Amino acid sequence: MIKINNLKKLYGERTVLDIPLLEIKSGECVVLTGHNGSGKSTLLKILAGTVKENEGKAISEGKIYYLPQQSIPFNKSVKANILFCLDGKRKIKRELCDDVLNAFELKQFENKSAKTLSGGECQRLALARVLCRKGDIILLDEPSSAADNKGRALINELIKQYCEKTGCTLIMTTHTGEFPKISNLRIIELCDGKIKKDSMTGEINDA
Amino acid sequence: MLISADREILQIIGVTLRMSFFSTTVSCLAGMPLGILITSIDFKGKRTIRKIINTLMGLPPVVAGLIVYMLFTKYGIFGSLGLLFTVEVMVIAQCLLIIPVVISLTSSVCSVNGKNLLETSKGLSFGKLKTMRLFLSQNKTALMSVMLTAFGRSIAEVGAVSIVGGNIQWKTRVMTTAIMLETNKGNFEFALALGMVLLLISFAVNIIASLFAKEEGQ
Repeated sequence: MIKINNLKKLYGERTVLDIPLLEIKSGECVVLTGHNGSGKSTLLKILAGTVKENEGKAISEGKIYYLPQQSIPFNKSVKANILFCLDGKRKIKRELCDDVLNAFELKQFENKSAKTLSGGECQRLALARVLCRKGDIILLDEPSSAADNKGRALINELIKQYCEKTGCTLIMTTHTGEFPKISNLRIIELCDGKIKKDSMTGEINDA
Repeated sequence: MLISADREILQIIGVTLRMSFFSTTVSCLAGMPLGILITSIDFKGKRTIRKIINTLMGLPPVVAGLIVYMLFTKYGIFGSLGLLFTVEVMVIAQCLLIIPVVISLTSSVCSVNGKNLLETSKGLSFGKLKTMRLFLSQNKTALMSVMLTAFGRSIAEVGAVSIVGGNIQWKTRVMTTAIMLETNKGNFEFALALGMVLLLISFAVNIIASLFAKEEGQ
């Protein structure tokens, strides 16, 4: 569960985030939308702990994993990138790694250097690295922004499958208007750091 | 004397390589993690520490030699260790000179992609050790250059090692102090020949390092 109380973030004198109250229940899937500079990424960064808020609090329960917009591919092979993120015994890690590579359609690149992947493939790898860690709360900042239509559909499908399988809490940002087809998806629209709309899928067109 | 591989020359080369190897290794082992920490962690007084490190980068070797000499002289704090005029104390003096250079260069190298890499690492909840490993592996080639710079500074250094080492024949005489001695004696040709050997050693180390870097690139 995530609870936000009077959260404020300022860059200089500019208020980039101002959320008086927001609650996200365990297992809930939330999409943050809004134009550039609306505060979507800042909110995720505060929840992930990479940026500090100026006022208020964001309390969360559970292990958080966060995929930043500028996630860097490690200077290793695709397979080694996944292995580096897995914990446990070597044999188990290898088996898990194969499953992840197959699920994310990265098997054919497993021995290729991650630096040579295309933008979309790189994002898939970055997503695979985060999801293979198996967290309670997953924060994804524009996870499919560099992918083409097919790649975006695949990434959204993978996110959907993961959420349905694990029951994790998901918060992701997007400005493309495409989200995973998860039932009861909550859509929060931010504008100038404030919540403009908070609705469930189905209600969005009416709001 | 050089062509016939004089025993004394070989011994001087041996001492030079031993001193440079240890001072480079110790400086990199201490300086690289500190450089990464300075880049990756925000703390109070970070700017002041950066300024101190940058100032120490310009520390004159003779001053470093003098400080270490005073610490290790008979009546100094570490006088009881009896390390003065040994290769060990020469390594210590060189570390004092090289560590700030390694910290500063590592910090510069890691700050290029540092913010994004740190965010990626934090997002995956990696611990400090794993984050350190990540920074090292992401910047292997650039850090190799840092290591070469450290080695270059070590092998070419003369002021500090002559003060704390004493340029003792068969014991603490290294290439640079031998060149200085031969120049003072008027043996310019021999001093020049020693200088050539020093350059050749540096060249060989650079070739080996570039081979490693090439392997990394592949």
